[in-house]
Amino acid sequence: MTNHWRDIRHADLILINGANPAEAHPVGFQWFMRAKLDRGAKLIHADPRFTRTSAVADMYLRIRTGSDVAYFGGLINHVLQNNLFHDEYVRNYTNASFVVKDGYAFSDGLFSGYDPDKRTYNIATWAYESNARTGYASRDLTLQHPRSVFQLMKAHYSRYTPEVVSSITGIPVDDFKKVADLVGQMGKPDKVMTIVYAVGLTHHTTGGQLIRSGAVLQLLLGNMGRPGGGMNAERGHANIQGNTDHAISWELLPGYLRIPAPGQKTIADYVAASAPKKSDPHSWNFFGTNYSKFMVSTLKGWYGDAANKDNEFAFNFVPKPAQNSSWMSIFDQALKGKMEGLILSGMTAASIGPDSNQVRQALGNLKWLVVMDPLPTTSSEFWHAPGVDASQVKTEVFMLPTTHWIEKDGSFTNSGRWAQWKDQVLPPEGQARHDHWILADVFQRVKKLYQSQGGKFPDPINSLTFAYKDPAKPELDEIAKEINGKDLATGKQMTSFANLKDDGTTTTGDWIYTGSYLDTGNLMKRRQGIQDPKANDPTGMGFYPNWAWSWPLNRRVMYNRASADLDGKPWDPARPGIAWDGSKWVGDVPDYPATMNPRDPNAYLPFIMNGEGVGRLFSNGMVDGPFPEHYEPVESPVANPLHPNNSASPVAFLYDKAAGRPNRFGTPQEFPYIATSYRLTEHEHYVTQHVPHLVQLQPKPFVEIPYELASQKGIKSGDQVRVSSKRGKVEVLALVTKRLGPMTVAGQKVYQIGIPIHWGYVGVSADSDPSHGRYWLANALTPFVGDANARTPEFKAFLVNLEKM
Amino acid sequence: MVFLAEHFVRSPQWTWYILFYFFFAGIAGGAYLVGTLLRLSGDARDEPAARVAFYVSLPATLICPILLTADLGASWWKFWHMMVDVTPGDTGLNFKYWSPMSVGVWALLLFGFFVTVSAVDAWMRNRGGGIIPMVVNRAFNIIGAIVAIFIASYTGVLLSVSNQPVWSDTWVLGGLFLASGLSGSAALIALLIRNRPEAGFSLGRLHQADGYFSVLELALIIVFFITVGAAGALARELPWLPLWAIAVAGVAGSLVEARGHMRMRAEGGSGTVAGVRLDTVVVSVLVLLGVLALRAAVIFSAQ
Amino acid sequence: MAAIKAGEEYGFFTDTSICIGCKACEVACKEWNQLQGDSPAFLDDSYDNTGSLDAQNWRHVKFIEHVPDQSATAGNGTAWLMMSDVCKHCKHASCMEVCPTGAIIRTEFNTVFIQQDVCNGCRNCIAACPYSVIGMNQETGTAHKCTLCYDRLQGGLEPACAKACPTQSIQFGPLAELQQAADVRLATLHSQGVTQAQLYGRDDKVYGGLNAFFLLMDKPETYGLPNADNAKLPSRNDLGGYLGAAVTAVLAVIGGLVAFRRRGMP
Ligand SMILES: Nc1nc2c(c(=O)[nH]1)N[C@H]1C(S)=C(S)[C@@H](COP(=O)(O)OP(=O)(O)OC[C@H]3O[C@@H](n4cnc5c(=O)[nH]c(N)nc54)[C@H](O)[C@@H]3O)O[C@H]1N2
Ligand SMILES: Nc1nc2c(c(=O)[nH]1)N[C@H]1C(S)=C(S)[C@@H](COP(=O)(O)OP(=O)(O)OC[C@H]3O[C@@H](n4cnc5c(=O)[nH]c(N)nc54)[C@H](O)[C@@H]3O)O[C@H]1N2
Ligand code: SF4
Ligand code: SF4
Ligand code: SF4
Ligand code: SF4
Ligand code: SF4
Ligand SMILES: [Mo]
Repeated sequence: MTNHWRDIRHADLILINGANPAEAHPVGFQWFMRAKLDRGAKLIHADPRFTRTSAVADMYLRIRTGSDVAYFGGLINHVLQNNLFHDEYVRNYTNASFVVKDGYAFSDGLFSGYDPDKRTYNIATWAYESNARTGYASRDLTLQHPRSVFQLMKAHYSRYTPEVVSSITGIPVDDFKKVADLVGQMGKPDKVMTIVYAVGLTHHTTGGQLIRSGAVLQLLLGNMGRPGGGMNAERGHANIQGNTDHAISWELLPGYLRIPAPGQKTIADYVAASAPKKSDPHSWNFFGTNYSKFMVSTLKGWYGDAANKDNEFAFNFVPKPAQNSSWMSIFDQALKGKMEGLILSGMTAASIGPDSNQVRQALGNLKWLVVMDPLPTTSSEFWHAPGVDASQVKTEVFMLPTTHWIEKDGSFTNSGRWAQWKDQVLPPEGQARHDHWILADVFQRVKKLYQSQGGKFPDPINSLTFAYKDPAKPELDEIAKEINGKDLATGKQMTSFANLKDDGTTTTGDWIYTGSYLDTGNLMKRRQGIQDPKANDPTGMGFYPNWAWSWPLNRRVMYNRASADLDGKPWDPARPGIAWDGSKWVGDVPDYPATMNPRDPNAYLPFIMNGEGVGRLFSNGMVDGPFPEHYEPVESPVANPLHPNNSASPVAFLYDKAAGRPNRFGTPQEFPYIATSYRLTEHEHYVTQHVPHLVQLQPKPFVEIPYELASQKGIKSGDQVRVSSKRGKVEVLALVTKRLGPMTVAGQKVYQIGIPIHWGYVGVSADSDPSHGRYWLANALTPFVGDANARTPEFKAFLVNLEKM
Repeated sequence: MVFLAEHFVRSPQWTWYILFYFFFAGIAGGAYLVGTLLRLSGDARDEPAARVAFYVSLPATLICPILLTADLGASWWKFWHMMVDVTPGDTGLNFKYWSPMSVGVWALLLFGFFVTVSAVDAWMRNRGGGIIPMVVNRAFNIIGAIVAIFIASYTGVLLSVSNQPVWSDTWVLGGLFLASGLSGSAALIALLIRNRPEAGFSLGRLHQADGYFSVLELALIIVFFITVGAAGALARELPWLPLWAIAVAGVAGSLVEARGHMRMRAEGGSGTVAGVRLDTVVVSVLVLLGVLALRAAVIFSAQ
Repeated sequence: MAAIKAGEEYGFFTDTSICIGCKACEVACKEWNQLQGDSPAFLDDSYDNTGSLDAQNWRHVKFIEHVPDQSATAGNGTAWLMMSDVCKHCKHASCMEVCPTGAIIRTEFNTVFIQQDVCNGCRNCIAACPYSVIGMNQETGTAHKCTLCYDRLQGGLEPACAKACPTQSIQFGPLAELQQAADVRLATLHSQGVTQAQLYGRDDKVYGGLNAFFLLMDKPETYGLPNADNAKLPSRNDLGGYLGAAVTAVLAVIGGLVAFRRRGMP
């Protein structure tokens, strides 16, 4: 989230797309309700299904899954065509005025620079025109230059008329216009809208662009950086934000530093290839400027004395993967027989990945599989799953019982970037060990092997710092302290990442957490909250600066410089983020030098992290286009109404095809219905299948079927049905409901079927069922394909057939 | 009387124990009343039948608390909480005049006394030695009969004093249970005396009384359906029509038999009017089944 | 909220317009009261698989689907009704009225409570409760229902269900405060055009007022609740029932007397 949970109460309008917060984030949802109850905010929920969120929303839009780019595109077009954007903001705080290099083009669904053989773009064609005089990007603050971002954008989005939007999304034109009217009012300085999304946007081949669409709309309306505004991702597991911050993604190092690439020999090579480049004289480019400091301090933190100036701070110790190693890539490798073993920790591959039958095949190709989990999972049990002949599975499976998070202390970073320390609630059961103790133990043993037997490249292992009181049992508090980083000269904890250096005198484990653990103690443990709102929330804006700790630097709303105008006055004095009081910025922790006068001729532009210094309406940071464009899901019942020749994403990576496996995508003739998969309040993925109280609430796997379709097929609630895709099938109960219904897409009537994800062949329900949950895995249906940028699987849109059994 | 248009209540799951309790309470109360009426209205030749009636009501009464206690399930040993208030801080007895169950418990206790005395008295008289003079005995019987009427009828009122569909939709259940209890007990006594020459005199008279009771019962069944229908709960009775058929068959049997015994002979016995006379055994069994079926139909319809 | 004090009236204001059907209340109640719950069964009734309140479920979230066919709906809670149901702690409590053992009492917090050591399992209260709240626990042989967390109140804690409710759809507090809050909320909804919103049990129209009262988004009947016209106490039938029996008795006695009348000794 750019903002945070509590901040949602400040919104006038809440757009919820691709998220079902009442069910997936019920506790955070209280702030949506507060906005509604306390300030009469309107909630608009666009979702293929009428959900528990829709039930309390002011407007519900039945949208076709995978079509939100068109929905947002229509809103953007409405705002642009009717001059409803926040003019001052757009001119000064976005790259609308930047001029794009000649040669950029978009036609028939393809941007310039496309290579159909490699299915990639040469993104160099999407660069800014460089100003011959300054060397920076050319700008035209009148926004009239035909190649200004603003004009290109206007042209790009002009195609997204209400009629086109309706034909793509299935939302009736009138309903769309009603929403557009409401959204159009949010460009006024005294209005603010928030967009909330989750995996209903990310689980698409166009996931990255779906999110960018929302961000573009928010920039146009001047809602980024403002309390009550922002582009807010509701994260998944209680600490998935913390996971992401600490580099759970293969392409990142802690703190969103890019993973080094092959060929980079020095820190300088690495920084040149990874850091944002300044493209405007007034841009601070804070991230780009400090990239090497963050990297060197990280290396210093990892390798200690083994990292020094002479050896490029042990940069050569860091792996430089030549290949994509995202989730699907891992299992693709296993399918190809190129992987020996796998450790799954707190993640059950057999349930959660796309095309789970294929994933199970991949697990069967391994020599060994280690599952670290407090509970039996579909992965730990895959070798004797129902229908599997255990004697045919060669994989040796080890189960290492771990403690559950409730059995250990540590931090959870929530969606709003608040790192909150929790205590251990229950003592560990049986033989279970903490994950970090298991890993420490494995590490010590591997290190011992290297020391006794040598190896190809023992240095990174041998030099890793491991300065814990008990190296076999590090405490999470020690690790948190280490992550914050310290000044090696004084031994003091670092107070800010601004002080990190690239000369080897400072360390960090994750620069964005620098400042969370000071010499005075662990700030994540702070609990000065609503016991005394007056004292603990001095601004009254709900920042509660002494409650836990929020990255970066305890800032509660990111980009908050943009919450104030050019003079430093809040756009809406009733909802200030930060304000210039004549000598300093007050309010939230400013996203700006604390004493920089905004009217100083040398003052920085508001967005300090990127090279432009302003928000990007046009971006060359994506692999699939500088502007978001609607592409159909890989499996779609219709051809893209905008450009049928390039219907689906032209750059999504097609694993099966690339690996020479047969095509596993279905056609609408065979599989006429759209399906989407999702969560229910009552269950947490696959874990709660072990919790009787929750199993009672949703005891059996089911699919939600539109009433009209069910009537045609003679299906009644409680009937057993088979849902099949090109890849597999599920056999579960039908729940017939009017919450799902028919829609007209590209002139065609289509139905969407809803598939909750929570069942499989382990747990209370499966144990008590004669089938043992043999065909209960939702992911038996989903396609092995994902977003062009992040490779997040397309869990949310695929084609199926439906039969009564 | 206010009827509920709709009901949203869970059923108490009163089933077999309670069904049989209602049956035996009806028989016990009915028999005692029949015995008393025989003594009050009849002559000396009715005395043997009256004694049988008092005999009948004793075991029928004694089984009642057993059934009630069994129905309590795991809490059976707390049966006495019905009478004694064990709420910490409260002392004394539990008596709520507005709660038929509460009144009923006390009535059952009281009735037990009357029934026991009357049965012992009958036993002694059969052995030639009544201790209590007949006059006192009659007075005693009259008071006992009032309690008996309560016992035979309150179970119906108890059902009505609830928020259950059907039960609380009608005011006839008390009367209906009384009429059917009387009919059933008359039939049962007839059955028991049919081979006792000394009591044979009362046989026809019992059938005739049963006839009157059955007319009453039939009338009340009709009113029952009217009131329940008016409350919109008729549909709940539909599944139980077979039971109602048995109940009505009992009523019909009674009526046919009563008609067959209409012409009483002063010297005892009776002449047939229509020439149709069923076997007492058949009729009585039919009537008793009807008594049970009626209660079952009422109890089950709400559950 | 101020400290919980004996002698004050407490209750719930359940605002169904902001209930999200998450069932946290249901589970929190089970956890605190150590209820196992019933054996799992798919009820194909919207998202409800609990069915009703009973001895194992002292909170129960009802789901009522009224989703119109068109896609954009004026939401505000009318299309998919969710209501967290519970014992109403009626001022005039039918259950308490009929209980023969005196097991059901009004506590020092003016809540309706079944004393487990007194109840003997007669189930008369079950037949009487117009809200289908009470259930029998076969193991203990006693009647069970929401205690309004009597034990927690005595310890100064708010009830588990209210504590767990993420949207504050369940508000616990002194009755007067809740009533005020409810009036404000209703006025707001009405001013927003949600005219079908109504308070249930806020005034004395049903059972003299409910300590656990509701804001409903539709008629009470839609939620399976008796309306003001048919919310009646069981004792209403005492008089009619006994009178009916008395008249029958008189007629029957006459019938008996006639049948057994003396016809002269030979
Ligand atoms: N109860 C519960 N809560 C959870 C979890 C859980 O398992 N159970 N998991 C947690 C995790 S890890 C995550 S990532 C989050 C996910 O939180 P959410 O993203 O809110 O969860 P989902 O149910 O997967 O999807 C949200 C909604 O997106 C809709 N949707 C699907 N496709 C589209 C689309 O193309 N456009 C639009 N507008 N909507 C679409 C679905 O119908 C669904 O209602 O939830 C977290 N919270
Ligand atoms: N079709 C479809 N597929 C999906 C999704 C979808 O919407 N549709 N959603 C996707 C998303 S967003 C996600 S996040 C994934 C969820 O995928 P997972 O994260 O794999 O799902 P969980 O069931 O939450 O699995 C976590 C495991 O962690 C264990 N665990 C809990 N605490 C600890 C601990 O402290 N240590 C260890 N070692 N283990 C622990 C649990 O027992 C459980 O087995 O599913 C993905 N798959
Ligand atoms: S499960 Fe935990 S993290 Fe998720 S909504 Fe509930 S309280 Fe919040
Ligand atoms: S709702 Fe039912 S159980 Fe609760 S007090 Fe009222 S009558 Fe008694
Ligand atoms: S079951 Fe218990 S609480 Fe209910 S009426 Fe009988 S004694 Fe009273
Ligand atoms: S008040 Fe307590 S007992 Fe009653 S429903 Fe809530 S949690 Fe359960
Ligand atoms: S916890 Fe609150 S929001 Fe959730 S179902 Fe219960 S009452 Fe509704
Ligand atoms: Mo997730």
